[in-house]
Amino acid sequence: MNAPAAPDPSLLPLSEARIPDDVFERMRRENLARWPTGAEVDFEAAVARHQALPKHKQLGWVMREADRQRRCLTQPRGGFGTFDMHRHLMVTLDKDGHADIVPTTTDSYTRNEQWQLAQKGIEESERAGRSMLNGYPMVNYGVARAAELVDAIDKPAIMLTGTAMPRLTGEIGYAGGYSGYLGSGIAYTTSYTKEFSIGEGIRNYQYLDRLVSMYQAHGVELHRRQPGFLTGTNVPPSIAIVTAVLDCLLAAAQGVRNYGLEMGETLHLVQDAAAVAACRELCQEYLQRRGHHDVFTPVTLLHWMGAWPHDDAQCAALVAYGGTLAAIAGAISVTTKSVHEAFGIPTPEANAEGLRMTRMAIYLAREIRLDGLKAFQDEKDLIEREVRAIVDKTLEMGDGDVALGTVRAFEAGVLDVPWSPSRYCKSRVIPARDAEGCLRIVDPGLMPFPKEVMEIHEEKLRRRAEKEGVPFGHELAVSSVYEMAEPIAKLLPDRIGRD
Amino acid sequence: MKQKTVVTGVIGSDTHIVGNRILSMALEKAGYTTIALGALTPAPDFVKAAVETNADAILVSSLYGQGELDCRGFRDLCVEAGLENILLYVGGNLVVGKRSWEETQRTYLAMGFDRAAPPGTRVETVLDWLERDLAARERGERRATA
Repeated sequence: MNAPAAPDPSLLPLSEARIPDDVFERMRRENLARWPTGAEVDFEAAVARHQALPKHKQLGWVMREADRQRRCLTQPRGGFGTFDMHRHLMVTLDKDGHADIVPTTTDSYTRNEQWQLAQKGIEESERAGRSMLNGYPMVNYGVARAAELVDAIDKPAIMLTGTAMPRLTGEIGYAGGYSGYLGSGIAYTTSYTKEFSIGEGIRNYQYLDRLVSMYQAHGVELHRRQPGFLTGTNVPPSIAIVTAVLDCLLAAAQGVRNYGLEMGETLHLVQDAAAVAACRELCQEYLQRRGHHDVFTPVTLLHWMGAWPHDDAQCAALVAYGGTLAAIAGAISVTTKSVHEAFGIPTPEANAEGLRMTRMAIYLAREIRLDGLKAFQDEKDLIEREVRAIVDKTLEMGDGDVALGTVRAFEAGVLDVPWSPSRYCKSRVIPARDAEGCLRIVDPGLMPFPKEVMEIHEEKLRRRAEKEGVPFGHELAVSSVYEMAEPIAKLLPDRIGRD
Repeated sequence: MKQKTVVTGVIGSDTHIVGNRILSMALEKAGYTTIALGALTPAPDFVKAAVETNADAILVSSLYGQGELDCRGFRDLCVEAGLENILLYVGGNLVVGKRSWEETQRTYLAMGFDRAAPPGTRVETVLDWLERDLAARERGERRATA
């Protein structure tokens, strides 16, 4: 097996503090020695490479420019198991899909740092002539191949890695000219792992954020991004934003200056618009309060992350409407899906179609915004009250330290994530959709939301229960999980006036 | 009648926990002692938990397509642990790509599962199977018909 990533007993105790230069130098040396391609990382050469990239291929700059122009950029997901297949995918997404940001999703072995298994996966894929891996094995292919991929497209490239172990993948991709990395200690550890402690996940991302800060000190602004969509199953905006604020503060403490926040769409136009505005404002509020005055925090929305219908036509509506929601909500980018979503990984062509469908919807959304609408303001106020209650309690529990507060708050259930697979997360909070179509909280578990706020949630959910003739409680949560995947004939029957 | 015990979990490297958790909640509510192992559970852990709790059934979920690899030899593991007669169910998106359900079901029944549940199976269906199959076991039959 690979060299184990055992916790180093000489490490500093967990805190939000910036990793000191000498400690970081040692950590990097050890990290890069874990797989042969680590030796290809040459920091000076990497800085020079980024400086030589045109601005429109630097994601940090592109996100700032999109914000200035009030644009909503498109970005799909995607990764294949061999270099040639993956290169073809990236070029297709760039050229045929007009993707504004081109992705590289890594495979599950790479996510778990099982590079020997990934190597076998590459060999088997090449023999079989089809991808046996569910993503691109970034570490196995190394820096030079990553650079070739970046050179094959004319857009910025981002790494999408769904892991609590980003250190070597991040080093190699960034050195190859990738300018963005999606992932964070709190969000991914609670959503993608079972036995991995939250403190350990935070440490691993502190490494990545510290690396990005080192590039920043050398004049290269890389983009980092937080996956606040969490488990992707009916996550209410306030819970996403709580993790966004905390992960953002942890990254800022390491010196990151360009940090995006991602949220899954609720599929309710007003709630999504309120969530985007609240997310950006709350991140800035807490950053300012803690002395970080120059962090850029653009918000991204993601196409529906729950279960998809098995009907291409219904899926097409979710894809297009996903573009409308993101554009009107004022998201700086939208992460797209395709009509293949219910059946697994899309072909490059279907993926590109999802991009164009979304792009047309963004075009049609023009400059329409909901600011000033009372329902928008009410929803935004509600989200803000929920987030402040949880974040303030977390900071208090850490005696002012975000990392310690986070670990303690998860232990106490003050921080919680619905449907989390992690043993370190109580997962007692339960969401459901209300009668109007907004995501609410049926059961807060141990999360200390204000009493008046919970009364609002309960009242709205009771109205749905009454309308559908079901008892108020967990059953609402269950039907909400499957709602969007139901056949259209059930969701909106066509027998008006006949029964 | 003594309270029946069931073990649930998502097998292999799979993190898709939502459906499995809903099922576990429903089992608990229906009066079963439910040992919920959660996501990312290796096959031997199911068997170990079943031995330790003297369970009547194991309900395995798999959503990410690789279940066929993860479930191979599951019945043998049970037999080796002395659980010859334990009731075994499997459910979810059980194969990679599109294959007919009949073919998928045959594959899993041949592996020694007593029932396989296709995507979209409701918890009520599983509760009904479980009640009738456990009653059939009491009568010394393998499982209830249909």
